[in-house]
Amino acid sequence: MKIGLLTKRTTMLAGKLIEFFETNNHEVTPYTLADLTIDKSLLNNDYYILKSKQLFFLYAGYFIEANNLPIFPNPNLTYKHKNRIEAHYLIKKAELPSPDYFFGSYKALKQNLLNTHFPLIIKPTMGSGSRGVRIINRIEDLKPMKGQLIYLEKYIEGTHYNVYFIGNDICALEKPPLSDEHAEMTKVKISSDMKEFISKWTNRYDIPFGHLDLVREESTGKLYVVDPGTFPEFDNWKCEGDPVSKIGNILLEKYKNLKNKK
Amino acid sequence: MVKIGIIISNKHKKHRLKALIKYLKQKAEVSIYREDNYLLQSSPRHYFNEDLFFIKGKGNLILSLVKCIEKETSIPTINSFKGIWLAMNRFLNSVYLRKAGILVPDYTLIPEQMKAPFKNFIIKNIIDQKSSTFKPKIQFISGNLHVSDERAVLEAQGSQRFYHYYFYQRFIKSKWEYKVYGIGDQLFYFKQVPTIKNPHRVKPKMEIDKIPELEELVLKAKDALSLKIASIDFLKSKDGLYYLTDINSGPNINTIENGPKIVGDFLLEQIKK
Repeated sequence: MKIGLLTKRTTMLAGKLIEFFETNNHEVTPYTLADLTIDKSLLNNDYYILKSKQLFFLYAGYFIEANNLPIFPNPNLTYKHKNRIEAHYLIKKAELPSPDYFFGSYKALKQNLLNTHFPLIIKPTMGSGSRGVRIINRIEDLKPMKGQLIYLEKYIEGTHYNVYFIGNDICALEKPPLSDEHAEMTKVKISSDMKEFISKWTNRYDIPFGHLDLVREESTGKLYVVDPGTFPEFDNWKCEGDPVSKIGNILLEKYKNLKNKK
Repeated sequence: MVKIGIIISNKHKKHRLKALIKYLKQKAEVSIYREDNYLLQSSPRHYFNEDLFFIKGKGNLILSLVKCIEKETSIPTINSFKGIWLAMNRFLNSVYLRKAGILVPDYTLIPEQMKAPFKNFIIKNIIDQKSSTFKPKIQFISGNLHVSDERAVLEAQGSQRFYHYYFYQRFIKSKWEYKVYGIGDQLFYFKQVPTIKNPHRVKPKMEIDKIPELEELVLKAKDALSLKIASIDFLKSKDGLYYLTDINSGPNINTIENGPKIVGDFLLEQIKK
């Protein structure tokens, strides 16, 4: 089978997946931003894997899907993971709690935010990871940016977790607050509410692997979803088995399902 | 009395809708939501009691607000999130319009350093979200026409490295540029000398009679992109085929004679449905 891999890089998990598929006698063409051309020439593979959530990979995903070729994960679901407002509705629809947010111009925030709303976290409207993420303790911590909109989220004091899931396997890790997936993390016991969160999430969206960033509020013990991800690097997987072969096999299985649906 | 919410970018845009707002105020309670001073928040959620929202704008906060109204209420939005989003994403609307069987010029999205894919082409901005206008740089190279919109160049040469892409559209030579305004099923036809022919002295549009081929294409395109109100541009090739080259979810309704009344009546009619 010819597999097209839409990916920012050909190292890390993408590189390992290429090796996995090639070992299993598949031909893999990686498409990075250096050579991704989105037109008919892109349509010469049997199956596509949308590894990256960046805009042009999403465009490629929508294009591939519109041309009736199988692609996984679904481009629209991936877009919804990337956009904070859309992600908020994804979490809500799965009946899971997420922190309150505020979105508007500096002027609108200054006029409406009260002292009781702080501390908040500033995050990019599109994207995941920790770039540009920081705590805002007062309105003065924000700089007015002409024509720019600012997304702020209630900062929840508590313990932060990165919870990976692949099929029925769950791997929970405690991580430093506001850090990305690559920070040093410690494996922790999976609590019953974590299990319930993952189950609700995967059942609602038919997602076979990914991760949820969770925070357990110190004062109430309540768990919140602060960031969902469709295709993490899994470089902090500290649980049983090899995540690469698990994901690789799931992706091959997904191809069969998608092909049967056509 | 029915209630209509109007969502706009800023006070300048409000001025452009002055006639529509004046007309609607005779028949409805009108509330204005401005992107530059509205704060979208998850809790406590703003309570919307409007019967319909009319959206004139496509900024990120406007899109998020429309999304929120659609998710949290059953109030109709004209246009919908999907319609506005697809209309401003040139690449995506080309994909879906072609899938719906509408003729669009050949197109591609490629990294800026790669060779132009067509002999005659126009480079357009990928996301048509800002209110700035088309500023073409026109060159004839070895007898071929190369046009690039300044907005597209600025977009690709911005600070975000991953954004270094160009959206190419094959250039269709046409004597006239046709613009059709669609307010629901009512269509208004205009033509003008293509902007490319004389970008510095844009000739005014002339209202023309209905063109049956365009009627079919416009209704199909509006349906494909879930748009109730739109303006759509076409070029006619030498073999007589109409190519859809541009689609706008927030057209200037003042161009049409009695435009504000026509749009106002259409919005009121939608509430009754």
